[in-house]
Amino acid sequence: MRAWLLWLLPGVLAGCQMTPTTLPVAEPAPSAECRWPAGPGDDLARVITALEAEGFVVRHTDASLGLVSADRARTTIYHDNGVERLPRIGGFVRGGSGGHVGTGVVLGFGGGAGPGIDEATRAERVSVVVDEQALRVTRDIRLIDWRGDLRESRSASDADFCRDLRRAIQAAPAGEVT
Amino acid sequence: MTRALLILLLAAWLAGCASPPPSAPRELRLAAAPEATLREAMQLLMARGYVIRHADDELGRLDAALARMPGYGVSLRVSPGAEGSSRVEAIATRGGRALPPGLLDPFLTDLQARLGLLP
Repeated sequence: MRAWLLWLLPGVLAGCQMTPTTLPVAEPAPSAECRWPAGPGDDLARVITALEAEGFVVRHTDASLGLVSADRARTTIYHDNGVERLPRIGGFVRGGSGGHVGTGVVLGFGGGAGPGIDEATRAERVSVVVDEQALRVTRDIRLIDWRGDLRESRSASDADFCRDLRRAIQAAPAGEVT
Repeated sequence: MTRALLILLLAAWLAGCASPPPSAPRELRLAAAPEATLREAMQLLMARGYVIRHADDELGRLDAALARMPGYGVSLRVSPGAEGSSRVEAIATRGGRALPPGLLDPFLTDLQARLGLLP
C-alpha cells in the first residue's frame, strides 16, 4: 500500500497550520537603550520636534497618553533584486554527418548578472511614549520594492537608533509648549 | 483503491488548509480605569517590540503592529464599566486575519499583573 502517502499527510497538515501558539514578539527584543528615564523638560512637544528634525512625519499623537506615532520613508537601493542565486548550467549537443558521425557535448556555465540593483522604499515606523518616569521607543522597518511588494519586514528597536533619537530629543529645545 | 485513497487524502489536505473560523475578540473585565489600562497595555506591547500605530484615551482604542512577516497586529477596545472598572476587548491578527483568542491570554494576564489586580 501507499503507506508513505499517509505518513506524508501529517507533514502536509502541519505545513498548512501556520497559526502561532503564542502571541508573537519581536526577535531580538527591543534594546535596553530604547527605554530611558525622563529628564526635566522631556515632554511630547520636545519629542515631536526631535522626530521632525530627524525627518519623520507625525501620523498620530495622543497627548493624554503621551504617545507619538511617526513614519519616515526614503528610497533606497535594493541589492537583492534580479540576482540569480544559482549559476545557470546549460549545454547543447551537436551531431555531425558525412563519413564521420561524432557527438560532442559542450557545457556552458554562466551567472546571471542583470541590472541587479533596483530602487525600493524603506519605510520606518516609530512610536514613542513619554510619561513622568520614562521614554520608550519602538521601531520597525519595511522594505517595499518598485512593484509594491513587501520584501522585508522586521522589528528594529535597536540600540543605535534609540541612542541617536535620545540625543536628538535632548538637543531639541525644551519647554516650547507650557 | 489508490484513487479513493488519493481523493480522501486530498479532502483531508484541503480541510487542513481551511482557515479557522473568524474568532470573537477576547473579553475581559478589569477593576481599573480605562486610561490606566490603556497606558499599561501600551507599555507591555512596546516591551514586546510592537509599534503603537494608534491609541486614543477618549475613544478607548489601541492598535499596535509587529513587523514580522506576514505582519501581526493587536487591537484593544477599552470601554468604561461600572464604578471605575473597564471592559477590554482584545483581538490579535496575522496578515489581517484574526488569530485564535486564546493566544492573548498570557498578555492579558500580564496586563492584570501590571495593574496590580492579581493576588
